[in-house]
Amino acid sequence: MAEFARIYCFSRVSLGNLTPAAPYEWYDLWLAGVELAISKLWLLGHSRILPVAPKGRRPAGRRSLSMNWTDEILNQLALEAGWAYRAGGVLASEPLALASLALSGYQRTAAAQRAALRLSEMQNPDGSVGVTLNEPTPGWPTSLAALSWAVASRAEKSRQSLALGQARDRGIAWLLATHGDASIRNPVIGHDASLRGWPWAEGTHSWIEPTALAVLALKATGYSEHPRTREAVALLIDRLLPNGGCNYGNTTVLGQTLLPQPTSSGLALAALAGESDPSGRLTRTVDYLRATLNAETTCLSLAYGLIGLAAHDCTPKQAGDWLARAARRAGREAAPYKRALLTLAALGRECPLISSNVELRVHA
Amino acid sequence: MSLPVETPSDTSSPPAIDRRALLVSGGALAAGLLGYRWVRSLAPMEAPVFIARGQRYDGPLEQTIRDGLVSTGVEPKSLAGRKVLLKVNLVEPRRSAPQMTTHPAMVVATAEVFRRWGAEVTVGEASGHMRDTELALVESGIGPAVDAAGLDFVDLNFDEVAWIKNGGRASKLAGFYFPRAAMEADLIVSMPKMKTHHWVGATLSLKNMYGILPGIKYGWPKNVLHHAGVPQTVFDINASLGKTIAIVDGIVGMEGDGPIMGSAKPLGLVVVGANPTAVDATCARIMGLDPARISYLQLASQRLGPTGERAIIERGERWRAVASPFRILDRPELQQLRLDSSAVRMS
Repeated sequence: MAEFARIYCFSRVSLGNLTPAAPYEWYDLWLAGVELAISKLWLLGHSRILPVAPKGRRPAGRRSLSMNWTDEILNQLALEAGWAYRAGGVLASEPLALASLALSGYQRTAAAQRAALRLSEMQNPDGSVGVTLNEPTPGWPTSLAALSWAVASRAEKSRQSLALGQARDRGIAWLLATHGDASIRNPVIGHDASLRGWPWAEGTHSWIEPTALAVLALKATGYSEHPRTREAVALLIDRLLPNGGCNYGNTTVLGQTLLPQPTSSGLALAALAGESDPSGRLTRTVDYLRATLNAETTCLSLAYGLIGLAAHDCTPKQAGDWLARAARRAGREAAPYKRALLTLAALGRECPLISSNVELRVHA
Repeated sequence: MSLPVETPSDTSSPPAIDRRALLVSGGALAAGLLGYRWVRSLAPMEAPVFIARGQRYDGPLEQTIRDGLVSTGVEPKSLAGRKVLLKVNLVEPRRSAPQMTTHPAMVVATAEVFRRWGAEVTVGEASGHMRDTELALVESGIGPAVDAAGLDFVDLNFDEVAWIKNGGRASKLAGFYFPRAAMEADLIVSMPKMKTHHWVGATLSLKNMYGILPGIKYGWPKNVLHHAGVPQTVFDINASLGKTIAIVDGIVGMEGDGPIMGSAKPLGLVVVGANPTAVDATCARIMGLDPARISYLQLASQRLGPTGERAIIERGERWRAVASPFRILDRPELQQLRLDSSAVRMS
């Protein structure tokens, strides 16, 4: 706790904010310190966070992974400076949602809720969430926001949890009322354009990443069997490339098969956890990512790729080492959202983006 | 695909940046920056274009680019202390397909030219198909090159935005969200690859400006623009932003199924000009395409710059001397863009 307090205070000073903390901030600080201690104990005793080491051997790298680089990142994510696309940038929804999810994943509940509540202040009256504090559109971050609210509201009953639950429900309602532009099959494009998922910007076509994020949010809130979720799952499978993996969303254009990318492939895999694909493309997507990710893979690709593999229980043994190296390479100056994703990927199957620990409800 | 337009709510959001201040700093400085010839070239009746042949990525590119800029009206003294943004093309980089993206040697050489003239240079891009910009930088080789040269790279996909009114009005979009880095730049250098494009024929310095718009507002791909019409939005973006010049990497271009899946087309060319429309028209001719048939150049012609051969003043090599028709897909709408062979022969 003393270590955390030192880091916290240093961060405040280094950010140029020298004003005394408000009383509620001191309370947050105390609470966050307690959380840090609890989370360290939790991490030490948690066997599913990283690939399981062979019996009789100490899990290689786990201690250093969980005790060093993730803590330093989580401390950054607990502060408002970690909620922008770049240091000193404007408050942005995606980094804020990822920070909240990462903090939740490491049991820093108070800090996660604080981030989630800040995010809820950015929610539009229609339930959507825009990209930044100043930009209320487009609404593609709504999925991530709803997911973070869903996870953060699972803490013990409180006024905050209730408020987050309400924000989650309004976000999900907006998602269910929103869809990508569908059209009839076009012979120059390989995918089934009539399937509706979610677009990046309203009024445009559905693409892999916003659709995958929406599926993750809907599954996490008990809407796995909702017709929109089912249609989106069909869309994601349809957009997988014949040899595995997926591009940003096209499969073939003018007869040419496009090339896969780790980020969109990882997100698609994450959303398709528990789904079946008789065509074998889902399995080949797992194979593609296993063959593609390595110690030199860049942050976003590595994080989403590993999250996707974890969702199918195929985490490579070296994942922990790769993530630690990626975090070291990126350094403290890296964009906070990238660092948040690395910590999320380090949770393996327990990553809140994919963990199945949801309150199951049926919304057919 | 159908072509719906951006929703009104998208275009009525309050700006994140003081538009007036930015426009004043950008537009006025751009006007004063390059002197009389530059002002005249904003919508000139005629414009010079410089072509250098026999160029190599390991050759004296800095000298070539400097010669090209000076010979087409850029005044070095006016750039001291100014902010210059080099807008490269990293649409979907692959190590195995270097013909897709602006070569790092071109970027470093261009940066050196402007730095020696006293400008503050930044390299930027909003990759069209990749959210992982770090991967795009690694795969293209731009990242290591920029680091080694001590240059800053700005990820335009995630930059803060300012909305400005659509200055072209060819599409129904009321305006565009430009990244802060672009708005604050005194001069933007569009640095495309010379490539074919399977929807509009060719992608050059005007089309390259698609990649200045942030993905957080326009998506990956920037589908908002596709739905509003590719030629129309290419024209509108350029008409709205201005203050852009062009340096085209034609040392190795892309032919066939561009802009992503095409094959390498070695040409050894660098094409430079203060008027992107004139530069693109010249490049199109070199590629064996008729600028008068390329839809966005039709829109830009006379409004953003000249496309007619007589209105383009050739510096360096003549385009006919270096013309080398690019292979284009065997589709009627693309084949009809071909320059008549008689036009190539005529001198």
